[in-house]
Amino acid sequence: MKFARSSTALGIIGALVLTACGGGTQSTTRPSQAGTQSSAPSTLPSATSAPATAQPPGGDGVLRVAMSSPGEAQIRVWDDVAVQFEAAHPGVNVEINYQEDDLYSTIGLPNLLSGRNAPDIYFEWTGARLANRYAEGYAADISAAVQSGPLTGLFEDATFGPATVDGKIVMVPYSADVTNVLWYNTQLFADNNVQPPTTWEELLAVCDTLSDAGIIPISSGNKDLWAAGNWLAHLVSRIVGEQSYDAVLSGTGKFSTPEWEQALGYIVDLKEHNCVNESVNAVDDTAGAQLFFQGEAAMHAIGSWLVSWAIDEAPDLEFDFVNLPAMPDGSAGNQDSTIGVATGFVVNGKSANIELATEFLALLNNDENIQQLIVAEVTPLAKSASEGVEIDSRSARLGEMLADAPAIVLPPDTGYDLEMADAFYTALAAVLGGQRTPAEALAEVDQKLGR
Amino acid sequence: MKPVRAATPYLFLLPALIVFGFAVLVPLLFTIGFSFTEWDGFGEMKWAGVDNYVRALGDRTLRDSFIHVLVYIGATIVLEVLVGLLLAGLLSARKRGSLWFRVAIFTPVMLPLVVVAVLWSFVYNPDFGLINAALAAAGLEDFQRIWLGDSSTALLAISVVSGWVWAGFYMAIFYAAFSQISPEVVEAARLDGAGEWAIFRHVKVPIIRGAVVVALLLCVTGGFAGFDLFYVLTNGAPFGATEVPTTYLVKVVFRNGDVGYGSAMAVVLTAVVVGVGLVFIRIQRRRAQAAAA
Repeated sequence: MKFARSSTALGIIGALVLTACGGGTQSTTRPSQAGTQSSAPSTLPSATSAPATAQPPGGDGVLRVAMSSPGEAQIRVWDDVAVQFEAAHPGVNVEINYQEDDLYSTIGLPNLLSGRNAPDIYFEWTGARLANRYAEGYAADISAAVQSGPLTGLFEDATFGPATVDGKIVMVPYSADVTNVLWYNTQLFADNNVQPPTTWEELLAVCDTLSDAGIIPISSGNKDLWAAGNWLAHLVSRIVGEQSYDAVLSGTGKFSTPEWEQALGYIVDLKEHNCVNESVNAVDDTAGAQLFFQGEAAMHAIGSWLVSWAIDEAPDLEFDFVNLPAMPDGSAGNQDSTIGVATGFVVNGKSANIELATEFLALLNNDENIQQLIVAEVTPLAKSASEGVEIDSRSARLGEMLADAPAIVLPPDTGYDLEMADAFYTALAAVLGGQRTPAEALAEVDQKLGR
Repeated sequence: MKPVRAATPYLFLLPALIVFGFAVLVPLLFTIGFSFTEWDGFGEMKWAGVDNYVRALGDRTLRDSFIHVLVYIGATIVLEVLVGLLLAGLLSARKRGSLWFRVAIFTPVMLPLVVVAVLWSFVYNPDFGLINAALAAAGLEDFQRIWLGDSSTALLAISVVSGWVWAGFYMAIFYAAFSQISPEVVEAARLDGAGEWAIFRHVKVPIIRGAVVVALLLCVTGGFAGFDLFYVLTNGAPFGATEVPTTYLVKVVFRNGDVGYGSAMAVVLTAVVVGVGLVFIRIQRRRAQAAAA
């Protein structure tokens, strides 16, 4: 099921620009490699296309890169890029710090940034997080490097939309992810004579059929709140509309409104039709995915990273995806919307190696390395990503879906304030678990947030 | 005539004071200082006065987290201290073969709590876990539960794990205390016709009352500091039903980046723990004085 990669990066970013800002990826499923690794042995052909024109690094001669662990395959590419860079810049050592995802996105990065050996380059999600980094001086203005420096010509101009804060480019785009779709087991669907649901009514009917057959219709591991939270937030946006969703999550207005109560009422439908595993709020995302991998569940609500994960964990599993089914008539949101985020690498505004850091990121995004990243299951946003290597058809279609989406919804935990996201996710989990009515849950969010 | 060395005692105290100062006093003072600020941990620090404390007073999650930890402490007093006391009593009455029993019961204490939590997360797993599988095998499907996902069972489930770990620790303390009791006292009670249960309840336990009080104090103050099991097993889920002050504090500081408010919570938690400890000691002192009188 492979075909030539189509050019989707520009479309993806064009769509993300429409949403004004981006968000993050939830890759807690990928293998973790915490700790610092420097110049691991190269396993890939070396390329030395980076110009060795930058000044020697400031401080101790080390160029530091920090990111959440991207998994073994990508780590190999990153380590090879480090080797290439060191070869092109004698006297420079590149240290890459891969941290466990959850650690990195919470305490890890702030600790690194405020430490003595702060990273010169670090991974970040677009949106509120990136704006905060810029406001605090940790995101360098790299506009000049993009317009007439080492990063010139590597990306389409529109790609920098979500990476721009106050008119300044402060991030080198890396990838874009759809953070939630409904994955389904094609064999289980065929065995039970059901079709992938495209409307809400169809979804509930599929739930009934599968549930009667003793199969969990949809598995989700929501112990940490984001897994089902992300999915249900998308559902809510379809009902209340993208504008209301964005406004309320941005701090304007209350959650406790008839529209939002109606939206959470659809979660009650899910509960009543036994759509979701009973353990949903007791297990984490990995356990939720395992139910799908092992054929216990017919569907799984999670993001684009499932493809490489499933190929590793369940190579015989036949699966495909549908976007969140269209909600009933009268819903205010766009029923073809997609939930997704863009990510990238930021040059630390307080680094003594800003010029060198931009050259490193230019090397990362050269043609050869981009092709290696595609092999490692990344969906890069660089221009050259549209050529060459074939990727999994599902990943390609996800990219196209994001590119063609008439509206893109940001996940609460990366696009908005985290405290708000936690309160909202808790409300969604409480309704999904049958512990609160929609009205009670939303009132609690407002109470918690002081609205 | 003895030489006057007025500074000597203080010089001997200095190393301990320095360690105490850097390990306890300075961090505490910094935390108190941060609690009056609005700060994300690395950006600009803004003076917030007592706003964080006012916020803490109205924070329902914080209030609920204290209720949860009190319930947890109540459960662990039974599952850890009382069970440990009973096990120690059993061992002190029947010494033959007790070594292996003691080793078996004490072994969980030596395991890192994170390992214990991961182990029990498999035991409690509603889909693949040992407990539900055993209940199904025994034809008791009606008793199957989503142990960590049901707000009515989650806190108790964590308390059981805590009891599984720490009952052995308290058993060791009580067993050591029982071993100090003079055999003549026990023998005299036996000659008077007392059975093992009566000896345990009316002779042994009153004699080791001091050890019991210490164990209770450790259990109560340790309960407030409980974190590992909660974090790994539920991290506050479901719907905040197992949120305790420590897990909530970590979320506020490290996830939400609200160091100012988190510091205020830490000060409140410290004050509560110290207060409980002082009350405990005062009650114990009064009882001792009353007994002496």
